[in-house]
Amino acid sequence: MNGVEQTLIGGVSGGTAILLPALGELISERAGVINLGTEGAMLAGALGGYAITESSGVIWYGIIAGILAGAAVGLAHSWITVRRSGDQIASGLLLWFLALGVTSVFGTGYVGTAITPLSNIAIPGLHSIPWVGVILFDQNILVYAGYLLVAVIWFVFYRTRVGLILRATGERPEVVAATGGKPQLVQIVAVTIGACLGGLGGAQLSIGYVGNWFNDMTSGYGFVAVAVVLFAAWRPVRVLGGAYLFGIVLAAASVLQAHGVSVNQYLLDALPYLVTLLALAVFARRGRSETPEALTQSLSRSG
Amino acid sequence: MTATPVNESSVRSTDVDLITPEQPDLPGGPRLGPGSRYALISTLGYVASLAIFGVLVAVKGADPISVYHTIISSTLLNGDAVAQTALRAIPIGLAALAVAVPARAGLINVGGEGQLIMGAVAATGIGVAVGAAVPGALSWAAMCVSGALAGALWAALSGVLRTWLGASEAVTTLLLNFIANDVMLYLIYQAWKDPHGSGQPQSRPLAHVAQLPKIFGSQLNIGVLIALVVVAVTWFLLQRTGWGFQLRVVGGNTEAARRAGLRVNSLLLSSMAVGGALAGLGGALNLAGVETQLRPDITLTFGYVAFLASFLGRHQPVKVVGAALLFSAVALSGNGLQITDGLDGTIVDILLALIVAVPLIVAKYRRRAA
Repeated sequence: MNGVEQTLIGGVSGGTAILLPALGELISERAGVINLGTEGAMLAGALGGYAITESSGVIWYGIIAGILAGAAVGLAHSWITVRRSGDQIASGLLLWFLALGVTSVFGTGYVGTAITPLSNIAIPGLHSIPWVGVILFDQNILVYAGYLLVAVIWFVFYRTRVGLILRATGERPEVVAATGGKPQLVQIVAVTIGACLGGLGGAQLSIGYVGNWFNDMTSGYGFVAVAVVLFAAWRPVRVLGGAYLFGIVLAAASVLQAHGVSVNQYLLDALPYLVTLLALAVFARRGRSETPEALTQSLSRSG
Repeated sequence: MTATPVNESSVRSTDVDLITPEQPDLPGGPRLGPGSRYALISTLGYVASLAIFGVLVAVKGADPISVYHTIISSTLLNGDAVAQTALRAIPIGLAALAVAVPARAGLINVGGEGQLIMGAVAATGIGVAVGAAVPGALSWAAMCVSGALAGALWAALSGVLRTWLGASEAVTTLLLNFIANDVMLYLIYQAWKDPHGSGQPQSRPLAHVAQLPKIFGSQLNIGVLIALVVVAVTWFLLQRTGWGFQLRVVGGNTEAARRAGLRVNSLLLSSMAVGGALAGLGGALNLAGVETQLRPDITLTFGYVAFLASFLGRHQPVKVVGAALLFSAVALSGNGLQITDGLDGTIVDILLALIVAVPLIVAKYRRRAA
């Protein structure tokens, strides 16, 4: 296995921890609600998933717990922003703070323990395709869930009535209301499902990727997920590309170090954020016209 | 679920005013105007927040009464504690104003953390380089100016990305926080590492003359006075100058501002730069007066606490500073809770979040009262 292959394998696996929350954020933003609480949902999902897996020994329970922990954050965010019309950015940040406090208070007992992370499942046939097979089809179940979700979300967005209503809610909620729809309900459901994926992304990090828990283990990945949705111009397939790009940069950093290449470690740590920032700078102008209209108010109030 | 047919945000400005004044009071109940209704409901909200936090600490095996006693006694009940609260309020308060100034123009600056860090980094660089060689006042001035400049540049980066390239400043300021932190870690682990620091990741300490002097033998240093002056100047800039007025026009309706001939982009950019300068100064004062050397976790999420403080103070300078003092006390009480009540210090993050949740949840009532 050479360095490039290692980087790509790690990129797909680590990128999934960004992809799942980014897809969640995509659903939420398409309904017109930005959720910086995605970072909080990831933290909650990472600890929830880890704690349940560690105590029950059943990794599936952990995955479900991760989803539910994310859902709790999503319900809180949608209640504050949709039902109580509270500020979306402030609500997201305070939920992140809440999750930071709660997970560090209730997570102390799990620091220093370890579990066996999700095992990889080689897909028969596909995994023996040269090169591509090892990278894409010998991964854990959550990575496959990522592939599937991109396809499902694309289909729902662009080929179903539900998707049409969701996108319309993100553009002109009053039109949805006028045609007899329930924009608030759509937003609440979208934000909550989105945060479930955030929680699942957190679980991918703790029980899928590293197999342990430490405080603030998401270290800003949830915010990166929000950035990925922006520079992907709210398109599912581009979100996939953006998330894997982040994963690959992250994996490249550790592969380079493992191969003894002396690159400054702090530059490597900052690299994923720099790349995300750069991508945002390059693609922002192009994506601006595609911003869901109901979102512009909370994303940037002027301009 | 009783979803109202029309999205709340779309009716906020017009319909609400027409609907609510006629809202009947309960028969026999006290007749409350919308203003006092809002006051009552927010008060109940804050009480509920404190109660929820009390239940939480009880779950963690601590006595809620003792916990609240610790929070008050470790931050308010003696001179030293008050001084610590005030000192910590400097970076939080200035970083909160760094949120409030761009917010006037409708910009969302979530980058207080990174701007505080860059201010502290610049102040360390200057302070360590010249601090021992020049008179104190000169090095304090140099550290403050360089800190403010560094913060301004860091924030202006997001401002440029926003005005030239259309990238959301809420997201770019957030990302820049993580990059600033990596820059600082690089410096204290490598380039600026103290050779006499017994392996600790920290910069060399400031020379004694370069540290901000204490006021009359108290724990307070002259940073408090500098910060108070800067707060007053900021208030003046926002409330009493053409620039402050123009920012509000841009924040109110950008398109109208543009048609009225205002230079919208340079107003947006200047509001970010001024905000960043305030936070950078906060980082510099915290370093020169309290920390005296760069080390990891020097900001302790103050930048994010500051965002919440600015929100709680509704981006109005005086209220924002009040909120920063409150949050400074809550953040500080984490130490006391760890020592006295055996709780994890980060539990105060939960209390902060619960406090800020109240104005978000009761926002509707405030709009009715307004």
